[in-house]
Amino acid sequence: MRILYIDTSSSYLYTGIVEEGHLISEIKEDLSLDLSKVALPRIASMFEEHELRPDSIDKIMVVNGPGSFTGIRVGITIAKVYAWSLKIPIIPINGLEAMATSISAPIKVPLIDARRGYVYAAIYNNDDVILEPQHILLSDLLSHLSEVEDYMFITNNEIDLGEKKCGYNPNIETIVNRFCQGSSCNPHMVNPEYLKLTEAEESRM
Amino acid sequence: MKDIYILGIESSCDETSCAIVKNGVSDISTIISSQIDIHKNYGGVVPEIASRHHVRNITIVIEECLGKANMTMEEIDAIAITYGPGLIGSLLVGLEAAKTLSFIYNKPLIPVHHIAGHIYANSLEKKMEFPLLALVVSGGHTELILMKDHYKFEKLGGTLDDAVGECYDKVARVIGLEYPGGPKIDQLACGGTPSYQLPVPLRDDSYNFSFSGLKSAVINLNHNLEQRKESINRENLAASFQKVAVESLILKTRKALIENNIRNLIVAGGVAASTGLREKIKDLQEELSLNVTIPSMKYCTDNATMIAAAGYYAYRLGRIADLSLNSKSNDKLN
Repeated sequence: MRILYIDTSSSYLYTGIVEEGHLISEIKEDLSLDLSKVALPRIASMFEEHELRPDSIDKIMVVNGPGSFTGIRVGITIAKVYAWSLKIPIIPINGLEAMATSISAPIKVPLIDARRGYVYAAIYNNDDVILEPQHILLSDLLSHLSEVEDYMFITNNEIDLGEKKCGYNPNIETIVNRFCQGSSCNPHMVNPEYLKLTEAEESRM
Repeated sequence: MKDIYILGIESSCDETSCAIVKNGVSDISTIISSQIDIHKNYGGVVPEIASRHHVRNITIVIEECLGKANMTMEEIDAIAITYGPGLIGSLLVGLEAAKTLSFIYNKPLIPVHHIAGHIYANSLEKKMEFPLLALVVSGGHTELILMKDHYKFEKLGGTLDDAVGECYDKVARVIGLEYPGGPKIDQLACGGTPSYQLPVPLRDDSYNFSFSGLKSAVINLNHNLEQRKESINRENLAASFQKVAVESLILKTRKALIENNIRNLIVAGGVAASTGLREKIKDLQEELSLNVTIPSMKYCTDNATMIAAAGYYAYRLGRIADLSLNSKSNDKLN
């Protein structure tokens, strides 16, 4: 079983190939505006490095959001076209849930800056979901946490959260092994979970 | 010679489209998923909504296209993709899909400029004869392009401000027509007489166009009539506007044909669907004994068939990109 992992939901490309539960190749790189240009060549370079054919993949795992709208679409489009072409299973996963696997703390609060005082965030107590992934005012999130003691924010954004904060550096092997038994979807139905309407839709409501 | 099958993908605005074209001339299969019904709620294309729909549609459109052609990706010779110009978020969805297919199936990736696509829509009608003059008229472009051979584009002139299609849409909005209003102006004009006086823009010695003044003139006229509480005859206003807009296009096209001694004329882009323009082009054809090609109605608006047709000639010329191809919201036709 060989699984290709793709996360382009931030300015970083996180991609890797996990073979029989072990990571054999990975790329973690801040691409910023070059994401759309470079994501696929970087993925292809992992295959070249290991002399693997593109069709030697058995499963795709892709982060379906939240985060950068354009970034998510890049990863999702690559992943769904890939899975559709090879007729292999595709497992979309939530990026905040993936972030929560990167550290051990009693209460984990993965967080992505959504600007204008908002964040994408969730609260996990080990495997239990205290707060579902959502687009939320930072102040509201903080009031959810006001009675919680041992929590830790996980974020790569420059955002003032005090000392209970650590960066996100995904352990792709851990993430893939954690979610690889998840339910597979029809590639046509795999779409971004933006957690936020477009501004045009919001102003019509 | 072996037949060449090009799979084209187009997602530059609000249509997700995939097509297979044989030898640059035969439409084997075309699928277009239009978002008009979604965007008309907003009075125009909302870029973020368009991008979101492209992601939902992309694999479905590719699958339907191959299914309709009864072909597999292995039988495709190369993949042509609109890399620009257009809405960047929309373009990226098609681009990543094309790049992924190119990677998985090890097929050449051919970048196609959206306007080259509109021009090569004419290759689906009949063989393109050079030198030719292309009148490109759409929501984003109004240009006169001289071509001495395939992919030799020489811009003679273009609009200094608004594109003609953009002007159609704005006039439509002023007189209360639902988006997309351009085609509705054309329909209304058919039933009206050009009774309102409007200025023919930019009667100068260049090959350029200008439509913002005409747009303002229509807005002012409409405003003045409303102020005087006079009823507006929408058919007549549409006919008056279309007469002047088309006259301006024909004026410069005629000038470019005569001064450059060209007998082959092609028309390209969404406004090529206008019956008002088509009639006047026919008159020009008779006057100057031209060899004229205008795409069928279905190839005037955005579609991947024209991208695959343009991709065939690019493929023959070895215009191939690698996986680092990126989308561009704006790029010169070359």
